[in-house]
Amino acid sequence: MTETVKNTALFLGVAVLVVITGFMQSWNSAILIVNMGLISAIMAIGVNLQWGFAGLFNVGVMGFVALGGLAVVLVAEPLSPEAWSAGGFGIVLALLLGAATVVAAVLVSRHMPKGRGRNLAMLAVLVLGFVLYRAVFDPNVMAVEAINPAAAGNIGGLGLPVLLAWPAGGLLAAGAAWLIGKTALGLRSDYLAIATLGIAEIIIAVMKNEDWLARGVKNVIGLPRPVPYEIDLQNDAGFVESAASLGIDPVTASTLYVKLGYSVLFMVVLLVLLWMAQMALKSPWGRMMRAIRDNEVAAEAMGKDVTRRHLQIFVLGSAVCGIAGAMMTTLDGQLTPGTYQPLRFTFLIWVMVIVGGSGNNFGAVLGAMLIWFLWVQVEPLGLFLMQVITSGMAEGSALKSHLIDSAAHMRLLTMGIILLLVLRFSPRGLIPEK
Amino acid sequence: MSDNPYQDGRGNKDASITNTKGMGTMTPAHRKSGPTTKVDGGPFLIGDTMTGGYGKGPDILHECTIAVNPGEIAVIVGPNGAGKSTAMKAVFGMLDVRSGSVRLDGEDITKLTPQDRVVKGMGFVPQTNNIFTSMTVEENLEMGAFIRRDDIRETMEQVYDLFPILREKRYQAAGELSGGQRQQVAVGRALMTKPKVLMLDEPTAGVSPIVMDELFDRIIEVSRTGLPILMVEQNAKQALAIADKGYVLVQGRNAFTGTGKELLEDPEVRKSFLGG
Amino acid sequence: MEILNALVALSNFVLIPAIAYGSQLALGALGVTLIYGILRFSNFAHGDTMAFGAMITVLVTWWMQSHGIHLGPLPTALLALPFGILGCMALVLVTDRAVYRFYREQKAKPVILVIVSMGVMFIMNGLVRFIIGPNDQNFADGTRFLISARDFKKMTGLDEGLAIKTTQALTVVVAVICVALLFWFLNRTRTGKSMRAYSDNEDLALLSGINPERVVMYTWLIVAALATTAGVLYGLDKSFKPFVYFQLLLPIFASAIVGGLGSPLGAIAGGFVIAFSEVTVTYAWKKVLGYLAPEGMSPDGLLQLLSTDYKFAVSFVILLIVLLFKPTGLFKGKAV
Repeated sequence: MTETVKNTALFLGVAVLVVITGFMQSWNSAILIVNMGLISAIMAIGVNLQWGFAGLFNVGVMGFVALGGLAVVLVAEPLSPEAWSAGGFGIVLALLLGAATVVAAVLVSRHMPKGRGRNLAMLAVLVLGFVLYRAVFDPNVMAVEAINPAAAGNIGGLGLPVLLAWPAGGLLAAGAAWLIGKTALGLRSDYLAIATLGIAEIIIAVMKNEDWLARGVKNVIGLPRPVPYEIDLQNDAGFVESAASLGIDPVTASTLYVKLGYSVLFMVVLLVLLWMAQMALKSPWGRMMRAIRDNEVAAEAMGKDVTRRHLQIFVLGSAVCGIAGAMMTTLDGQLTPGTYQPLRFTFLIWVMVIVGGSGNNFGAVLGAMLIWFLWVQVEPLGLFLMQVITSGMAEGSALKSHLIDSAAHMRLLTMGIILLLVLRFSPRGLIPEK
Repeated sequence: MSDNPYQDGRGNKDASITNTKGMGTMTPAHRKSGPTTKVDGGPFLIGDTMTGGYGKGPDILHECTIAVNPGEIAVIVGPNGAGKSTAMKAVFGMLDVRSGSVRLDGEDITKLTPQDRVVKGMGFVPQTNNIFTSMTVEENLEMGAFIRRDDIRETMEQVYDLFPILREKRYQAAGELSGGQRQQVAVGRALMTKPKVLMLDEPTAGVSPIVMDELFDRIIEVSRTGLPILMVEQNAKQALAIADKGYVLVQGRNAFTGTGKELLEDPEVRKSFLGG
Repeated sequence: MEILNALVALSNFVLIPAIAYGSQLALGALGVTLIYGILRFSNFAHGDTMAFGAMITVLVTWWMQSHGIHLGPLPTALLALPFGILGCMALVLVTDRAVYRFYREQKAKPVILVIVSMGVMFIMNGLVRFIIGPNDQNFADGTRFLISARDFKKMTGLDEGLAIKTTQALTVVVAVICVALLFWFLNRTRTGKSMRAYSDNEDLALLSGINPERVVMYTWLIVAALATTAGVLYGLDKSFKPFVYFQLLLPIFASAIVGGLGSPLGAIAGGFVIAFSEVTVTYAWKKVLGYLAPEGMSPDGLLQLLSTDYKFAVSFVILLIVLLFKPTGLFKGKAV
């Protein structure tokens, strides 16, 4: 069996799983799996760029995904002139002041001679800057948050088409990644893992608490969509007619139509990114990346600026995760900062990359589709399994109800077991790097 | 990429998740010890017509023989890349010996792991990373005696008598000592096992000439106790001067063998290796 | 008087909680740092190891409570702790045998072990949720306060009350005992020294006849004991919730790194640095300063530097600052 045949078979296998879901459960859930699978695949490509191509350990995927989500609100929400006049500009000013403080502190540390004087000066700059920042920031935030707090209370967005939010999400994530990479990769030995782990938590904390930004845990719902609304389709005589001609009732047809619309959009983005990632991999730049990964000392001796290359790929990979995050928020139609969990948005993506095959873009895509399918389906399967196991037990026994209630947690257990099995018996993943 | 997928760390050197400091780099020829057999006669320690190389690699040693008897100092010298350290590593079980054998005290130990050779009585002082830098001098010595279950105080006193400076610095971290003192700790650590034979891999590498002379004096002193010493040396002249037996290796083969004096006087050896 | 009041308020709201939290973090960070020093990777499953040990303790505590076994004023959990430790030891040893040992034999790169520990994290996380569920569990009993705020006010006649929870006092006492035992073990016993030697120089340790598998086994046993103790103390002080333990991973990692990875002393220092910064930065200073400021000048705002939700952010910022100025951590991350 040649490699191409094997890989095609693997992808077909996943497709068959989805089709089975369509027949056994419903086509709606099958397409939902495909949609989230496509988004996961993009995230996996991002992580694969960093880990597979360059050996960078990013455990803050969640943060970049969340930033992508934030971008959707900031780009696609309608303009809120009220909020801007009340305090939006003040907030921007305060943030600029904060940034200026940090820059000033860095300048002090660069240009003053080492010693107590420098430390004191830095402390003074930071304290003064912080006080100033809070003095400008707090009243303006209060003003913004006071505007219609039940439905808004945030600075709103730019009112642009939601599709623009996808690249914007990538940019936002890239900006954050640049900052992190600049600090964490510039240190004497790199501390990227802990830096990303921390930053991801900080990003989520900011999104949860800064209500002026995107309403925090009050969530933003009803975000604009790039596809039509179901209800409009159902009221469209032409659509109802063509649905009837296919023998599907209009409600199901409309939901399927909308979901398939998303699928097409996501597929286009995935294919473009996959194509770009493949090109990058084969380009001189990609070859150099792998050369650095495989022998950093030699690459450095050849005059390659390793830190710079690492920064580049870290920013690129994070941007891809940001795009995926924006797509996910668009699909959900809402931004709910409370739902971002590292297990789901960081470590699960890692499982996808490792299972698929780190260093291989197609592997990442396959791993993402497969793992996402399992993530969704293990829960009903676990429930079924528990029902079989407990079928012999007395009705209403405590153990039986406990086992059935706990079936939902089978999912984490299964992911762990899959990861360990793959790492042990197929350490290069399902589609190994060439 | 490494052949073993488990060893492919993708060049990651993230200090917040991985700790490569002090990680094992040793590549023993055998992961598990094979059987040993009794043999009679021959020198106390001998690497007999050893041919072999690292792992699956090509042969580096070719029918190389090295031996040492009690009370003797045997020195391996030769040009750079001659396989001096390799020969010693072969005796210590770090090299796949494909033909020939290693025998110690009437026992064929060719199939033993380095650890088991230590138990059999080989004291080995590696060229680099030969002390526990974060531990005190005394703890270094204690760790040297880890395999012993009897009272180690007497041996420790002997080591302190041999290297008085170590007694002075016994509670200081070994990593804070000077190069020469570190080498003394390293030799002391090896002596703590009460070895039957002591093997030193370039003990004077990177120390000043004065310290080198002092180290050689100490080594002679150790040898006077009857302990056979096998030593690889870069400073051929000084080493041969104290050697009872000398081995000149060239490209993994025995080129010249004789007493230290004979080799120092051999015109060919002088011309090619001792700079006239 | 005002100064005393300020001092009491400071102790009540900042010092005592920070000391208790710092002790918990220190115990957690010690486990991380030991694994890092000896097994040479950062164990992502550490938070869930803590949760597992604490869970066993919770279950045993419930069983004891239902059988009327109590420890008087002290929480029953203290009596159940040894069982939790044993359970956790069994878990980590089984994990090591089934999972990690293979990679040691393969001489796998540490970063591979980090990924492996992610898998273990998933499994342990799922296991804990499967057994005890994802919700808050209460298992604290005994006397709630060593000194309650009201008694303190009566005793001293001050306006401010000082409350010391039994669990807080217990945390500190147990942590001190654990740390003392650990340091005695590492510095005074043959096995402890062999662990340090192995961490310092693996090859030389092998040549000295130290058996790596034994070193690794002892390390896991100690880590299990530390993790369970930390988990139970945290659970008693706050509450037991599986997800919270997973989230503790960040401040624990931060503590270990701030102190200098691989250095036990550093782990303790790091734990307190992180705990104190988290508490001070997220505390509203209005009360304390209200006592200190002259009449009529008392501050209007809460004087809270950051909202409490940012405490993770604080640990991370501290971490960054330390790394920028002392890349190897406060205690020079030399091996254990």
